[in-house]
Amino acid sequence: MNARLRRKAGLAFVAPTALFLAAVIVFPLAHAFYTSLHRVRGLNATFIGFGNYARLADDATFWHSLGVSFAFTASAVALHLGIGLALALVVNELRAARTALRIVFLTPWMVAPAVGATIWLWLLEPQFGVVNYLLRAAGAIAAPVAWLGEPGTALASVVAVDVWRGVPFVMLLMLAGLQTIPIEQYEAASIDGAGAWTRFRFVTWPNLRYLVVVATTLDVINTIRHYDIIGVMTGGGPAGATEVLPVLIYNTAFRGNRLGEAAAIGVALLGIVLVLAVVYVRTARLDDGTRR
Amino acid sequence: MNRSIGSLIAVAVAALAWSVGAAAQQPIVVQWQTANLTESQYEPVWKQTIVEFEAANPGIKVEPVLVARKDHWTKFVAASQARKAPCIVSVDVTTAAYNGYLMPLDKYWNAEPAAFRSAWSDAMLSSAKWKGQLYGLPIWGGTYAEIYNRDLVVKAGLDPNKPPQTFDEYVAWGKKLTGNDRWATAVLGGKTDTTTRVLLMWIWANGGEAFNADMTEATFAKNPRSLEAIKFYLGLADKSAIAAPAPTTTNYLEQTNLYAQGKIATMRNAYWAIAKVVGDNPAMAGKSFVAPPPANVPNAPTLSTVTASSISASCQHPDAAWKFIKFDADRKWSIARAKVANWMPLRNDLADDPEIKADPLLGQFVRIGRNARSYPLPHPAWAEIAANDIVDAVQKALLAPDKTDEIFRDLDARLTKKLRDI
Repeated sequence: MNARLRRKAGLAFVAPTALFLAAVIVFPLAHAFYTSLHRVRGLNATFIGFGNYARLADDATFWHSLGVSFAFTASAVALHLGIGLALALVVNELRAARTALRIVFLTPWMVAPAVGATIWLWLLEPQFGVVNYLLRAAGAIAAPVAWLGEPGTALASVVAVDVWRGVPFVMLLMLAGLQTIPIEQYEAASIDGAGAWTRFRFVTWPNLRYLVVVATTLDVINTIRHYDIIGVMTGGGPAGATEVLPVLIYNTAFRGNRLGEAAAIGVALLGIVLVLAVVYVRTARLDDGTRR
Repeated sequence: MNRSIGSLIAVAVAALAWSVGAAAQQPIVVQWQTANLTESQYEPVWKQTIVEFEAANPGIKVEPVLVARKDHWTKFVAASQARKAPCIVSVDVTTAAYNGYLMPLDKYWNAEPAAFRSAWSDAMLSSAKWKGQLYGLPIWGGTYAEIYNRDLVVKAGLDPNKPPQTFDEYVAWGKKLTGNDRWATAVLGGKTDTTTRVLLMWIWANGGEAFNADMTEATFAKNPRSLEAIKFYLGLADKSAIAAPAPTTTNYLEQTNLYAQGKIATMRNAYWAIAKVVGDNPAMAGKSFVAPPPANVPNAPTLSTVTASSISASCQHPDAAWKFIKFDADRKWSIARAKVANWMPLRNDLADDPEIKADPLLGQFVRIGRNARSYPLPHPAWAEIAANDIVDAVQKALLAPDKTDEIFRDLDARLTKKLRDI
């Protein structure tokens, strides 16, 4: 088969996938952008150019929501990584029950986010929730705490639930990374008299650094797009305290019935995620270069 | 070769004919979505309605769409945008009609005999109209009143026959009804339009208005009596300290749970809430009494909701859908709904029905409802305003009571802009 034919055959093989991706990714994205250029009220749409974007730039709710998104993402990702790494280090040291523990730790990740969020919604219920009951029984609080009713505790609660759900995945990634570190490096460090902290600092961390960067970028991309837990637990409340961008999109589109504005917020969110994706790709390439 | 091609064609034609025949025999399927199908007390009634309707109309199958109350509207909007909305729906008629989500029903309505049409008053029908066209058939409604737990009232040394008439009397009662881990009432601040319904009633009860007459301007802060009422009502949680904690997350569900468990002694709600409470806690049966909401002005109106059945614009079988709507509006089901779920029939001819009159509490709600304003308010942006903007302002004011003036001034400005942007 000559080169031209081979090229054509290759294109033919790729075509179905390319068409499928165009249908499920390119078309919806293009349609979202098209919608963002319209004033949409129900089934009626009027072209307004970049009017929705101008409105967004002037909309305090959007900027507030962007701030909440960054706060939610930064705290959730930091905790995912911190706790995930700590758990991975502990599980990696274990000789017995490692598989069993891995399954136990993975359980929250296996639960559908909406189901997990609903369970937590009732656990945190002020009057009848188990959390307040236990805290009161232990004497830690005198009166019921409205975990989802105050801005500070509401944001902390949704972050906590996201951490409960997100840590297992990061832990698994880190555990996989830890198991690729050659045992000889630890043995050499031990012979040199390195303690646990020194071994972590000079053997574990350098070996894991690339994985941490990749995991962080992927986790940020994943968390900033997160809807389920907040949508179920607070719907963005109280008073917008937990209204991250995806929840704002939902509230604007389906509660507010302003699909054009919602699409413009969606496009803005896509822009943020694309920047993060570029960071991720560059990091991955950089690492390829170093390793080659 | 020719013979095998001929056989192939014959087989294909036979298969096509069979599939066409099979499709012709398939019943028409119409989906039915309301916010109430998930309410346990109503479940036996709607299931029986479907069974009997399908038996009477063998060519039509009704498929219920179960959706949580808070997701009902958003699911309907998403489905309407996809042109796949359930055929029969109960939604905010004005908002849905303005957005092109509903089908005008005048063709069906006008074709009905006068005897059927006379069961609905013009006033009642007007609540389901938009720009002169009928978009829904009012099926049931509910009047809001103050519902009290008789045992807790008596235990507090109060007389159930002399419920509070004014705001001050309400607070005086509230203080006596509040005790250790128990409160007089619950202030609603959760993110559904029930929060807005209750707020509107307090405003009206103080002689205030939330909007001007043609709904082009919001007057929550502009009208001093409105602002006074808002501060009084939200202050029940803070200043008066007679309301359960966590008002920003309290809604219909939480309010009725608290009442059912004896944690609050009174709740502002419609008759259906009593059915929900008894469903949650059967020991509460017969323990509630009802009174008009306390008011600072004479003849203050309360609020009556109107739930109408509509046909979505994307419905493929509107004739079948209308048949079901008529069937569901029949006396038999109207009475059954009133009995199990306490939903008041909106047909004229049932007001004096002996089975309705036999229920003294229902009679009391009917009397209180004689001076009621119809809800939802007639504006195309109402669904968003009621469930988002007003609720957000309530939550902000509950969290920062000293900024209530500023918060509701901002709300007025925001809403006025929205009301005019149609």
